[in-house]
Order: sequence, then C-alpha cells, then structure tokens
Amino acid sequence: MVLLTRVSKRYSGRPHPALEDVSLHVPPGQFVYLTGPSGAGKTTLLRLLFAAEAPSSGLVRVGGADLGRISSRQVPLLRRKVGVIFQDFKLMPLRSVFENVALALHVAGRGPNGLNGRVSEMLAQVGLADKAQVRAGELSGGEQQRVAVARALVGRPPLLLADEPTGNLDPGTATEVMRLLLQAHAQGSTILVATHDPKLLDLVEGARVVHLQAGRLLEHP
Amino acid sequence: MSRRRGALGRAWLQMREDPWLQGVAVSTLTVALAIVGAYLALCLNLHQAAARLATGATLMVALEDEASLERGRDLAREVAGWPEVAEVRLVGKTEALARFRQQLGPHQGLLEGLTDNPLPNALEIFLQPGLRAGPEMAGRLRSRSGVAEVVTSRPWLHRLEQGGATLASLAMALGFLLFLGVVLLVTNTVRLAVYARREQLEVLDLVGASSGYARWPFVLEAVLQALAASLLASLLVWGLLALLAAPAELPLGLDLSQLLGLDWRVPLALMGVAVLAGVLGGLLGVGRALRPRGPA
Ligand SMILES: Nc1ncnc2c1ncn2[C@@H]1O[C@H](COP(=O)(O)OP(=O)(O)OP(=O)(O)O)[C@@H](O)[C@H]1O
Ligand SMILES: [Mg+2]
Repeated sequence: MVLLTRVSKRYSGRPHPALEDVSLHVPPGQFVYLTGPSGAGKTTLLRLLFAAEAPSSGLVRVGGADLGRISSRQVPLLRRKVGVIFQDFKLMPLRSVFENVALALHVAGRGPNGLNGRVSEMLAQVGLADKAQVRAGELSGGEQQRVAVARALVGRPPLLLADEPTGNLDPGTATEVMRLLLQAHAQGSTILVATHDPKLLDLVEGARVVHLQAGRLLEHP
Repeated sequence: MSRRRGALGRAWLQMREDPWLQGVAVSTLTVALAIVGAYLALCLNLHQAAARLATGATLMVALEDEASLERGRDLAREVAGWPEVAEVRLVGKTEALARFRQQLGPHQGLLEGLTDNPLPNALEIFLQPGLRAGPEMAGRLRSRSGVAEVVTSRPWLHRLEQGGATLASLAMALGFLLFLGVVLLVTNTVRLAVYARREQLEVLDLVGASSGYARWPFVLEAVLQALAASLLASLLVWGLLALLAAPAELPLGLDLSQLLGLDWRVPLALMGVAVLAGVLGGLLGVGRALRPRGPA
C-alpha cells in the first residue's frame, strides 16, 4: 500500500534534512504507529504520502502510483483515496460541521442521495450528531478534532493518515477516536498514526511501531 | 447539469460569507462600468447626431414668393421621380416659420415685430445614399418655373463624413482600452478573493477537490458581481446624464439633451460587457492562483 525507498527530504534553507534515507514498506491492512519526538519528521513523512510534498530523493509509492511522477491532475484523485486527519485539522471555520464532513464526499462527485445519510452516520459515530449545523469555528479543539476524524473517514478511504489524532482530546474521547480508527482498520483500511504519546500505543494490540529520530527511521520489534 | 448548479450554489455560498469583499468588488466595478457606460452613451448619441446631420436635406429649393403651394406640390412630385432622389418634402412657409421659431429658442422675441411671414415655400430634397448634388442637378432645378434659389449641400458635411471613419476607429480603440481596464479590474478582484479565501482553498486542495471544483465558483462570482455592477452603473449613468442634460443649445440645431440621453441599448451593452469581462477576468484571475498544487 505504501512503499518508501531511500527517501530524503530537505527543506531549502535548513541545514539538516527533515527525512534522511527512509525506507518503509506498509502492506495493505496494516496498522502502523509512527512515533518520535517533536521535529523528528513525522508530519513530513505523512505529507509525502498524499503528494503535499515531493521527496528530494528516493521513491514514494502509494497504492501502486509513483508520487514522484503523477501529474497534477491525478493528485486530487489520489487524495480522495487517502483520508487525512491533520495535526491542525484544516477545517472550514465558517461552514457547518455537516458541510465540513460532506465536503470530502462532495469533491469526489457524490450526489446528495448517499451523501446525507453517510455524513449523518459518521457524525453520530464521532458523537457530534447534535452539532451538525454548528459552525466548525465555534467548536472546542476536541470537537474540531472529531470533525477532522469524521471527514477523513467518511469516504471509507483505503489509506488513512492520522497526524496526532488525539492531541487535543481527554483520555475518554481519545480512546473513542482510536476505536473509530480501529473500526476503519477492521473494515480493511491501512492506517498510519503519527504520535508522540506513548499511552496511545497500548490502545491497539499488535500494531506495528516505527520510530523516527531526527529524520531517520528505526523499527521497533 | 447538476455539477453546474453545484458550482453556482457554491459561488453564492462563498459570496454570502464575504459581504465586505462583495462590497469592494461591486463598487469598484460599478465605477469602472459607469465610465464605460457614459462613453458608450456618448458614442451612440454622437453617432446618431451625425446620422441626423448627414441624412438632412442635401438640397434646398426655395420657391418664388408668387409661386403657389400647388406649384410646389407639382414640382415635388416631378423631382421625386428623378432616379437620384430618395425623398422630397414640401415645407410650406407656415411650417418653416414654426421651425425657425423653435430653432431660435429663447431668442424668439426677435420675431415679435413680424407682421407677415418672410420665409418662402420650399422643397427639401434627400438624395439616394452615397450621391451628392452636383452643379448639373442644381441647374436642372433652377430651370424649373417658380424656383427662386437652389442651395446645395453644405461642404462641412463632406468633411464630417471623411473624418467619421477616423473617428470611428479611434472610438473603437478607446473602447477596447476601457474594456481591457474592466477585465484587469475583475482579474485583480478575483485575485483578492482568492487571497482572502486561501485557507478554504487549501482545505479544498487537501481533500481532493479538482481545480475546476474550486475554480468555477470564482468565475461565477465574478460574473454575478459584474452583472450587479452593470445594473448599478446603468442607474448611475442615467442619473448623471439626466442631471447634466439641462436644456441648452448647441450649434447645428443639436440640443444637449439629445447628446446626453440614455439609449436603452446602453444598459444592455453594459450588461454584455460586464458578463464578458466577468468571464475573462474570472478565468484570468483564477488561472494562476488555482493551478492544482501538486508536490512543490
Ligand atoms: N515547510 C517547511 N519548511 C521548512 N522546514 C520544515 C517545514 N516543515 C517542516 N520543517 C522542518 O522539518 C523538520 C521535521 O518537521 P515535522 O513537522 O515533520 O516534525 P514532526 O515530527 O511532525 O513534529 P511534531 O511532533 O512537532 O509535529 C523540523 O525540523 C521542521 O522544522
Ligand atoms: Mg507533526
């Protein structure tokens, strides 16, 4: 599903590369934790996987597509198959919770028939059914994070990337969000979760853990 | 079809979210389109005035005082049969005096002491388009009985016709420049809108919206703004012209209210200009900004 081969990423004007010689193979259906301290390169690695960044060197393949070579027209098609929970949510603050979640389906051309039911279902799962018509900008941080989770999952993406998906949540809600990710995993999605919260690792049994340290990858047994 | 409606719906939604932006866009566009509208109105009116002058009688035949109106009617019938003549009108002395009075306007007092009408009965002869009254024709008219005098077309009319072509191309060039200005204005307004909404656009980009999905609402927004501005601009021009068109006399029998009138075609043309500029400016403004952002 995901294959990185000797990938490096340098940001211009930075003395140290954000990622250096990273190789990683994630087969379909795997649940992977990406850990490491702040600044280790977790977000950078995830951004490579939905073509928000291009590698400085090396090969990035997602679902069979070589992201170094796909055309800019194909990028939106890729992103519709990759659900992303962003560290800073990336919601539309003036739009309602419902519209924010529906957006992921709407851009993919889904008509109102299937869309409304699926969005309501998803909002119920993240416990925001009663806030569907509230503007996203008026929600608490934790609520916004759950909107971001709902938007990432609503299209049942084969690949889910989650960047600190529980960063703003109390332990109870964090467990609830992880349960949602596990549910998506059970339904066949491949999942990568970036976190520096060690407590999270215990919530998923048998998950694979890879560790990033100053841009280099170390595998944990 | 449903995709189009979707884009229009989204355009409406994003417009409602930024009333401030709408205000800026519509007001600047209104001013620009008002200038275009005033220019169009002026061009149209000048063109019509020139046409009125050019189609004025090219020959004037004054009848002798003793010649009766009957004689005038006979002569008119005869001349109307000539191949080069398009139309002949008999202007009786009473009508001529009434016209003269009207042309004098506020100076009508000049005619007060008049006991009888000093003006002759006359024929106004309009020639077929493209023809001019030569000396041969004037001679032929003069030889008819009852004719006192023949006045041939005014030399400045020829000069007007010659200058007309140059003026027309100059007017087109100026009009094109004005249109270009409006297009650039729309372009920059759309750029502003794109900049103001860069965060929403980033979200669209990240969740996999095609560039068209993000692009069309901006183009439609520009067209809607331009349409609204064209209506406001028409009102503005109409009001302005009505205000300026105080009755005043100009040479050549023109009057200012004719030059400053607003033809119904001007608002229509303005609407057309607005839609075209909206589409062009919208596409230009959005083209650079929303090129699908792949990896840097
Ligand atoms: N757009 C950018 N331009 C320049 N440098 C960047 C950019 N994004 C990230 N970096 C640098 O790359 C390195 C890795 O950043 P990254 O965001 O991937 O870390 P992270 O592991 O996600 O950290 P955190 O846990 O704090 O989110 C950092 O040194 C950061 O400063
Ligand atoms: Mg990060």
